Amino acid sequence: MDTDGNSGDASRVVHVRFITKLDRPFKVPNSSISVASNFTRFGLSSVVNNLIQTENPDWEVEPFDFLINGELVRMSLENFLLAKGISAETILEIEYIRAVVPRKEEEPSLHDDWVSAVDGSSPRFFLTGCYDGLGRVWKAAGVCTHILEGHSEPVSSVSIINPEGADSVTVATASKDRTLRLWKFNAEDTRRNPLKISAFKILRGHRASVQSVAAQTSGNMICSGSWDCTINLWQTNEPVSEGDTVSTKKRKTIGQAKESQSEGEAVSSLVGHTQCVSSVKWPERETIYSASWDHSIRRWNAETGKDSLNIFCGKALNCLDIGGESSALVAAGGSDPILKIWDPRKPGTSAPVYQFSSHTSWVTACKWHEKSWFHLISASHDGKVMLWDLRTAWPLFVIDAHKDKALCADWWRGETVLSGGADSKLCMTSGASVL
Amino acid sequence: MSDSEGYDSDDYPSIRGSDSEDEESGSSGNEDVLNTSNNDHGNDDESDSSELHEGVEESDSSEDEVVPRNTVGDVPLEWYRDEKHIGYDITGKKIKKKEKEDKLQSFLASADDSKNWRKIYDEYNDEDVELTKEDIKSISRLLEGKAPHRDFDPYAPYVDWFKWDDSKHPLSNAPEPKRRFIPSKSESKLVNKIKLAIRKGLIKPKKSKEEEEEEESVYPLWGDDSNSTGKNDHLSYIPAPKPKLPGHEESFNPSLEYIPTQEEINSYQLMYEEDRPKFIPKRFTSMRSIPAYENAVKECFERCLDLYLCPRVRKKRLNIDPESLKPKLPNRNDLKPYPVSCYLEYRGHEDAVTSISVEASGQWIASGSLDGTVRIWEVETGRCLKHWKIGEAVKYVSWNPNPEHSILAVSAGQDVLLLNTGCGNEEVQKSTKELLSVEMPMPDDSGKTASSVSWLQDDKLEGIRLRHSKTVTAVEWHRKGDYFSTVMPAGESRAIFIHKLSKKFTQTLSFKLQGPAVTSVFHPTRSFFFISTKKIIRVYDLVKEGKLVKKLETGLREISSIAVHPSGDHIIVGSGEGKLCWFDMDLSSKPYKTLKLHQKDINNVSFHRSYPLFATCSDDCTAYVFHGMVYSDLNQNPLIVPLEILRGHSSTNGRGVMDCKFHPRQPWLFTAGADSVVRLYCH
Repeated sequence: MDTDGNSGDASRVVHVRFITKLDRPFKVPNSSISVASNFTRFGLSSVVNNLIQTENPDWEVEPFDFLINGELVRMSLENFLLAKGISAETILEIEYIRAVVPRKEEEPSLHDDWVSAVDGSSPRFFLTGCYDGLGRVWKAAGVCTHILEGHSEPVSSVSIINPEGADSVTVATASKDRTLRLWKFNAEDTRRNPLKISAFKILRGHRASVQSVAAQTSGNMICSGSWDCTINLWQTNEPVSEGDTVSTKKRKTIGQAKESQSEGEAVSSLVGHTQCVSSVKWPERETIYSASWDHSIRRWNAETGKDSLNIFCGKALNCLDIGGESSALVAAGGSDPILKIWDPRKPGTSAPVYQFSSHTSWVTACKWHEKSWFHLISASHDGKVMLWDLRTAWPLFVIDAHKDKALCADWWRGETVLSGGADSKLCMTSGASVL
Repeated sequence: MSDSEGYDSDDYPSIRGSDSEDEESGSSGNEDVLNTSNNDHGNDDESDSSELHEGVEESDSSEDEVVPRNTVGDVPLEWYRDEKHIGYDITGKKIKKKEKEDKLQSFLASADDSKNWRKIYDEYNDEDVELTKEDIKSISRLLEGKAPHRDFDPYAPYVDWFKWDDSKHPLSNAPEPKRRFIPSKSESKLVNKIKLAIRKGLIKPKKSKEEEEEEESVYPLWGDDSNSTGKNDHLSYIPAPKPKLPGHEESFNPSLEYIPTQEEINSYQLMYEEDRPKFIPKRFTSMRSIPAYENAVKECFERCLDLYLCPRVRKKRLNIDPESLKPKLPNRNDLKPYPVSCYLEYRGHEDAVTSISVEASGQWIASGSLDGTVRIWEVETGRCLKHWKIGEAVKYVSWNPNPEHSILAVSAGQDVLLLNTGCGNEEVQKSTKELLSVEMPMPDDSGKTASSVSWLQDDKLEGIRLRHSKTVTAVEWHRKGDYFSTVMPAGESRAIFIHKLSKKFTQTLSFKLQGPAVTSVFHPTRSFFFISTKKIIRVYDLVKEGKLVKKLETGLREISSIAVHPSGDHIIVGSGEGKLCWFDMDLSSKPYKTLKLHQKDINNVSFHRSYPLFATCSDDCTAYVFHGMVYSDLNQNPLIVPLEILRGHSSTNGRGVMDCKFHPRQPWLFTAGADSVVRLYCH
């Protein structure tokens, strides 16, 4: 069943069988065919498209990616087999998946200053922090609904605390003015002009710039890392009557002593880092991860305040994210162009399990895809945002939309990549569905 | 003589007797001779022997037969030359000489006689003897080295008379003696004796010596002569270089493969004189046609010139591996981390950045530029947070090391400005604001201290302005952040000021400096104060009212900058001629090490606060990073390893990198360039 006429002159031929986990319209006959060994991904993709077309005449050509033994094919078949030491004699099973290709680059959302932080964990909106000290809530690209006004210095980090909140959503912002602020607003609110709101609570306690904020999964607490080398834990669900314009339907919590109307104090403080804590993550109820400029990644128990894991990586770290396979892999980037991924479950985890080094400058942000085990994005000072697949050492694609440093990046709705940079733009690249 | 003669004469008769008996028996003379010989064995078997000598008979010479006639004895026959007799016979009668034949007659007779060649003249008996054929045969056999008689078999099988087949008893039935089974006592005695003698040293084992001699006696026959001359005692003997042995190509008629073709000969002409082959093989059909050597005279002349002008000289050549002369330094990969590559640039200045200073926590960096602005940058993103327009070219910026104050000291023109950076929390801001306010009614501006410095409030920049009388080039803070010193090179003896911020008070210390002051630094732990002029660094003790503690002679012509190691015992000095000096204060006042590094002026040197690193930056647009390990053990010298040359800045108006400072906590280096960019090099 030789599908391609041009494979006749190719001297070497590999017998392959295409398999897939995709659904009905993507299936191909489960018989082995022979293809020329100098085929690359493009050749294989056209073969699969041809096969589908024979069964389904009105099929639209679609690019595919190919996996051999769990690794993406990024060279010609022959070279791949040689490099991996796979025998070409037997029938090769090639799994194909839909290629992750960004479909559309949307209009950038313009800010007044550098975009330092972005959070897209809610499917309804996304939140950005900016160097002009304002936080902004966006419905879609270029559609700003709320402006969070109050910080006196640049916002360094933002976090959506309860993305599923029915009518009012709580978000937290961290700023270089040493405070964190909590905000509430109605996400369904749609107006032509953005609504300016102010914080319902100001969290003071850090002695230096706050670099990072992360919310607990339940939304009851947030943690923040700062230049004063500490990680502070804060309560969020404390009702405040004043200073909140959208809080008409706010919930009243019971059992909390009322403190000064809009100020909050740190519940506890995790001390251990010796330099600026640049990034914190709170993926599970008990566990907090933090990355610091003192070259270490630590895992803290939120209850006891003890650190249970300490990964030393030799470089100052800027960003950290937890995700991947069963949400256990730690990805971090710092003062070198290499994005590293550790697996803390392995004993003796000082060495990273993956290293991606296509960037040319500091890595400023990294973010795992929520659902996928393999995909993560990273932003760097070289202005590029890259999408990585753990199964290959090359980036799946590179977003080169920023003219200056890229400072932050996040996923939105599972298929859109948001990235903000020093060119005061928030770029959106949609249609990159990884599943 | 007479005795022996007499004895002989006595002896002869007995033989003669036997002979005479034989003669009497009437057998032939030949037989008699045999008999006499046989008589030695015994006379028993006469009949047997008589049978025997019939075969042997003719082989015997006739000499013996004749002997009995002349009994003159063993005297030279010359004695009887003139006598008529030749001797005496046994009875004492004279034996008359024969009449001599005429020579011609005898010759004719010999010519006639075919047997004449076999005749021998017997002088003793004066007669001619004719040899028989058998005689001649046996003579020839004897000459050939064989047994005289043909029938004698020299290789006859050996007959063992003492063993035979049916012998019942051995010849000797004696048992084997015991001595054949035990070691000999006398021999062991002898061995012991020798052993003792060797031990005492009476006998020296000669064998080893012989062996040595044997070894020495072996020498390389074709070895190099020059080696053997080393043993010579001659002082000036220099062997001539060994000429190459002639090969086939130097033959007058070499085989064809040695003859170069015409093309090859032409190609020789293109070669350099030295590379050209000295000898080109040629063929000649015969030796005759070989011409005279055309270069003979020339070479002779050159040789004479050589001998006259270039006598051979013994050259002392040092055989040293240049690698071994290099100091053994650790691999720089083992000395990580250190700054390697530039990842961040801080752009915004419009002219050369002259000075940078990093805040104590490492979050911000301040830079001053010739365009008259001072900027504060965020280190991690490269964002300019703040900038002041001073109006004059900024010479020097220095961040207050105390984290409780957010004060930046800036020197521009004749002023030193103390600015509030606004970095830090509310308490810091409050205390800073208090510090930076000067009561306007100053206690007489130039009254009691007669200082040439006036403290003024600068409302526009929200800080303090210290007005000096001359241009200020450098500002350095004391580690506690209260005192700071300013350098005014034109001030001669009053070039250095020490200011106290909390009291807004200026102290002028008059140091006797020869030449204008360049820069001044506070000791990081003790009350010492370093002032450098162009050539010398002086160390003063501020507690003891400015007493001169030490004088460091750099040996440099143009000191541009100094930096003190955080331990305080080591100083590095950069100079205008691109040299770097490392001083060990405890060791001596001379530099421990001087390194010639840069092509152009060194503008600044800097130590890292915690890592063992230091750096220099220069107008040749590079910054050098070194590993400078200082050991607490006083006996161990500091280890200096060059690590990295950092490039990236471009030259502007002949200036390169103006300043370099380390990040206080990371192994990162900031460099300020004349190309108006500040760069951050990370590990």
